[in-house]
Amino acid sequence: MNPPDKTTFDPARSERIAILRRGRERSPFLAASGWIVLGAVVVSWLASRPLLGRLSAERRWSNFLDFAGGLVPAPVRESGDWSMALPWAGGLLADGGGEALLNTLGIATAAILLAAAFVLPFLPLASRWLSRVDPCGVAAGRTGRMGRGFWFVAGPVVRFGFVLARSVPEYLIAFLLLSLLGLQVWPLVLALAIHNFGILGRLGGEVVENADSAASTLARASGAGRAGLFATTIFPAVFNRFLIYYFYRWETCVKDATVLGMLGLLTLGKLIARSKGFFWDRMFFHVLLSASVIVAGDLVSTWLRRRLR
Amino acid sequence: MKPPLQTHRGQKRRALLGFALLFLVCAWWLGLTPAGLLPPDERHWERAGSFFAAALDPAFDYEDDSVPDDAPPLVWKACEGLLLTLRFAFGAMSLAVPAALVLGFLGSSAWWPEPCVPRLRFLLGAVYGGTRLLMSVLRSIHELIWALLILSAVGVSPLAGMVALALPFSGTLGKVFSELIDEEARDAAEALKAIGHGPVQTFLVGIFPRALPNLITYAFYRFECALRSSAVLGFVGIETIGLYIELSHEEAHYREVWTYLYLLVALLVIVDLWGAAIRRRLQSDPGGCAA
Repeated sequence: MNPPDKTTFDPARSERIAILRRGRERSPFLAASGWIVLGAVVVSWLASRPLLGRLSAERRWSNFLDFAGGLVPAPVRESGDWSMALPWAGGLLADGGGEALLNTLGIATAAILLAAAFVLPFLPLASRWLSRVDPCGVAAGRTGRMGRGFWFVAGPVVRFGFVLARSVPEYLIAFLLLSLLGLQVWPLVLALAIHNFGILGRLGGEVVENADSAASTLARASGAGRAGLFATTIFPAVFNRFLIYYFYRWETCVKDATVLGMLGLLTLGKLIARSKGFFWDRMFFHVLLSASVIVAGDLVSTWLRRRLR
Repeated sequence: MKPPLQTHRGQKRRALLGFALLFLVCAWWLGLTPAGLLPPDERHWERAGSFFAAALDPAFDYEDDSVPDDAPPLVWKACEGLLLTLRFAFGAMSLAVPAALVLGFLGSSAWWPEPCVPRLRFLLGAVYGGTRLLMSVLRSIHELIWALLILSAVGVSPLAGMVALALPFSGTLGKVFSELIDEEARDAAEALKAIGHGPVQTFLVGIFPRALPNLITYAFYRFECALRSSAVLGFVGIETIGLYIELSHEEAHYREVWTYLYLLVALLVIVDLWGAAIRRRLQSDPGGCAA
């Protein structure tokens, strides 16, 4: 018998496809979200007039030519000899560039370590599995009204704290803290640490929720408390996963620490902002330097994360 | 010989000790001392006092008496700032997502034909490597620095702000999209290849639809980041709520600063919760819902 010819119209097959199509799972919430996003995109573009700003096309073009011409290192522009570029770059590195680079890395590292240390005690409190009257689903004795009330609100409060911490941009936190604590490095470290506290709280919370529950249930049934459960059965099991997230966030911190210097402290961002408008070549060199640090940080972090998996 | 568990514990302990030492080294290099966590002098203590006192009494009207009577109310101005912030974020993502889809496709190997002749494999490898390098360059420059570069080159404009955000975001999105596409199960794609579909058809029908829920989830997460970055663009002179915060702060109008901050945080929290709800729905249906 010949196989059925699929190119001809088959009403029964079309009907089956229509039934499958009608029966597919739908989400009105997702559909509404999609329409809202689409509408917002259209409105954003329609409201962005004049799209290219108020400068004339000639002015924009002449600005661009000035900018592009200024990117070539000054000694090369004057002599036409590219061998002059290397000593010029070395001079910039010695004149604050190297120190700014180390400061950027130091701020990012100190911030992520601080965030990681502070987030750990909050993770059991944020966990839906532990932060309840009967952790791991194992009831152990009676809990008073106060205790029940505490465990009812603890999880949502800590999780909302994480949402709040990560919602404020680190640049904004640093800007406000600098005016309160003066021009020093702490505001930058604290700003990055607060923002990453919120992000690590969310990521770490997910890891704790998904951790294998058998060992903790057994420990709970044997009488272990919440902190003991977390420290002995969950933390050791998810340690590597935590490290993966810390390295991933460190990589982002390096990028953010670079620009926080634009607020006035010596990181690469300060050198970039200082050169703007007068020394395009220096600005571009520092941009390239910050990009290389970020790429290097990215490679180190990827290598470490791969080794930890 | 130590039992494996003991060795394991020793490694963790060494790692934790190493991190503590690393923090001390950073603190020494940066000059971080516990005293630095407090305002350094009387003037800063006073400023901190008025700043935090203003948190309990955010402004509903301008603190500056010289603002003309016919100026829009402060809350209206703040909402306008939020809309401008949203405008840049939506505009930037509408540029970044299509660019990232192209980069994600070119930067993945899931669609490569099998078997592949050496010359074609070399060509595809070159496209793959070039795309990944481009994505690396795009995301290795922070959006604020992109903004500085673009504004310096072509002046302040809405498009410049959107492009400044879109460039690094397309690099980051493209990298993650390519990884999500490569990690997707290939059974459906293999079946399609076996009945004679070409590589692009196989990708569009067998791989892309399965990766779509994860792509949407990640794109929405990046939208949350774009919103935060858009607010910060105000600090380089682009009109978003960040600019209003900076100006009010410079004038020491802290009650106004708190009004803007509360509204910004409320918006960011709403978008965060919206994103979480979308993630929950998409993850509960791995096949993807018909949105």
